[in-house]
Amino acid sequence: MSKLRSTRFGRRTTLGLLGAGLAAPFIRPAAAQAAWPEQTTIPDILKGSGEVRIAGFGGTMNDAQIKAYYEPFEKISGIKVRAFPGSDPTKIKAMVETGNVEWDLAQLSRGSIMNLQKRGDYFEKIDYDIVDSGVDPAYRFEYGLEMLVWAQVLAYRKDLVKGEPKGWADFWDTKKFPGERAMYGTTSGGFPEMEFALMAAGVPPDKVYPIDIDKALASYEKIKKDVIKWWDTGAVPIQLLTDREVSMTTVWNGRMAALQAAGVPAEISWAQGLSKRDAWGIPKGAKNKANAMKFVAYSTMAIPQARIAFAIPYGSVNNASNEYIPPDRLAVLPSAPDIKKQLLNYNYDWWIDNREAAVNRFNKWLLS
Amino acid sequence: MSEAVLRERGPLARIGLRSGPEARAPNLMPYLLAAPLILFMLAFYAMPVVAMLMRSVSDPTWTVANYATLPDDAVFLKTFANTFYTSLIVTLVSLLLGYPVAMALVRAPRWAPIILVLIMLPFWTSVLVRSYAWMVLLGRHGLFNEALIAAGMIDRPLRILNTPLATQIAMSHILLPYMILPIANALRQIDPSLLRAASGLGSPPWRTFLQVTLPLSMPGVAAGVLLVFVLALGFYITPAMVGGPREITISMLIAQRVDQLDWAYAATLSAVLLATALAIIGAFYRLPGVGNAFRMNAR
Repeated sequence: MSKLRSTRFGRRTTLGLLGAGLAAPFIRPAAAQAAWPEQTTIPDILKGSGEVRIAGFGGTMNDAQIKAYYEPFEKISGIKVRAFPGSDPTKIKAMVETGNVEWDLAQLSRGSIMNLQKRGDYFEKIDYDIVDSGVDPAYRFEYGLEMLVWAQVLAYRKDLVKGEPKGWADFWDTKKFPGERAMYGTTSGGFPEMEFALMAAGVPPDKVYPIDIDKALASYEKIKKDVIKWWDTGAVPIQLLTDREVSMTTVWNGRMAALQAAGVPAEISWAQGLSKRDAWGIPKGAKNKANAMKFVAYSTMAIPQARIAFAIPYGSVNNASNEYIPPDRLAVLPSAPDIKKQLLNYNYDWWIDNREAAVNRFNKWLLS
Repeated sequence: MSEAVLRERGPLARIGLRSGPEARAPNLMPYLLAAPLILFMLAFYAMPVVAMLMRSVSDPTWTVANYATLPDDAVFLKTFANTFYTSLIVTLVSLLLGYPVAMALVRAPRWAPIILVLIMLPFWTSVLVRSYAWMVLLGRHGLFNEALIAAGMIDRPLRILNTPLATQIAMSHILLPYMILPIANALRQIDPSLLRAASGLGSPPWRTFLQVTLPLSMPGVAAGVLLVFVLALGFYITPAMVGGPREITISMLIAQRVDQLDWAYAATLSAVLLATALAIIGAFYRLPGVGNAFRMNAR
């Protein structure tokens, strides 16, 4: 679901921390390149007092968020931010059910929020009256607001693969592009990349949804013996590329910057990637609901959205952000116009309705 | 353990926990002493576990449907078989590797501190770090393959990492101390005069081992096998990190269902895992010889 969840469970904490360690060096050069834009004024309605308790994914993501919008928000709004790692829909479920809501705001995905909301009333509605008009309508939904754009894409080692693979037919073609593969698996709540399997079988991107599971599994069958790992956390494909265990894998784009900064000859091929998003959700019964709402509105304004892209190569949901980002930085963001048009928008709605069936069919196929 | 210490243990064992026929009044002290821990475990461990397991029959309504579908659930059956098989292999490997080490630990007192440090150092290191270490060693361009290539023994690197073999190697290493320590403990309690008597009566060393040492160390072996097998059943991180593409363990399946918010099914799987572990523990107690050995050991 999300790429920098470092503290979901214990096992992921540690995996994520290793990833965070890898990613740390690249923040500094990015910050040094250009001055970060500053948000100098905000509407009075976003000001307040007290605190807001925000659960994120910890690690590198948390460092980026502190600098991009936690600290500036504290200064300009008068509301104190307390950051918690380990955001997780299962924890929200437990908190709301026991009436002990410890977070006012959580970083999740539209899929996690709507999956929970399908089973009960776990989230507050977003107050769109105070949300910036620059936030693209595509990223708005009733119980959450998307606030970070990332991509699940093809990555390859330039020293093991000749030429540039473009799209999933190339990923599937182990004659033209030899070497082992790794893909996202389902072991710890992951989603199989059935979109990629369909595009490899020649389905055009605009015809991928609704996903034909049979067709996707038939396509997967052709790559099965070459996939040596079905990864379950973002650090794994990066490790596999670093250690030359695979020549090509799917990755979360944000992880690649650290790898490249470490001098590994690896590259992203954006063609036919999936554009995914993280979203803010306010757990039902949050004590500082009003402050959480103010923070949601602030953090999706153009400048805070641009600032996060300075810290970590993830894109913004505010159409006005791009003018605050230097061109060389924009060139590596999934929200950059040239890249965005190569990506397929991940269809959360399809996955909300079909997740269990798709994952169970995938498991069965994998073990057969 | 020296004979002096053994002699000391006799009377000590008699005054403590046992209330034999000679005891005048039931001794409540041990229960009082244990009460804080028992209450703590009841409140913060037993109750949450029971509440969670109840979900398997009560979420959303009272039903046994979750259990009834298990025998037809191909994913569950394959995963369960795979978990069981891996645990079996790991237990066997740990036993074969661990027994000689335990012998060395007890029979070579001069080297014992060094052997103990070698066993305990990895024991104190996190499972995650040890799994990463195995990735570095077993990788296609890892130490092991590079060494074999440099020695001219192979032309192309072997695929060990990301296969079931890597899981078995790494898990055996991680669980080895749980095998060695109970066996060493049992070996230490064997009265050395028995060994001297055997050799005095003309028994060759291998026969002394088979007829004296091995049977007397069975309590330790049973404890080690039990610990390693039950712990292996619940492994998650190591198979996920170094294992093959089709290695899904029961605990991974549980995590997956928790994430899918299918907590009833996750609870069902957890109950099955727990029942399996308890059944194995129960079976061990009933094994002729081993059960007696356990009771003997408890005294």
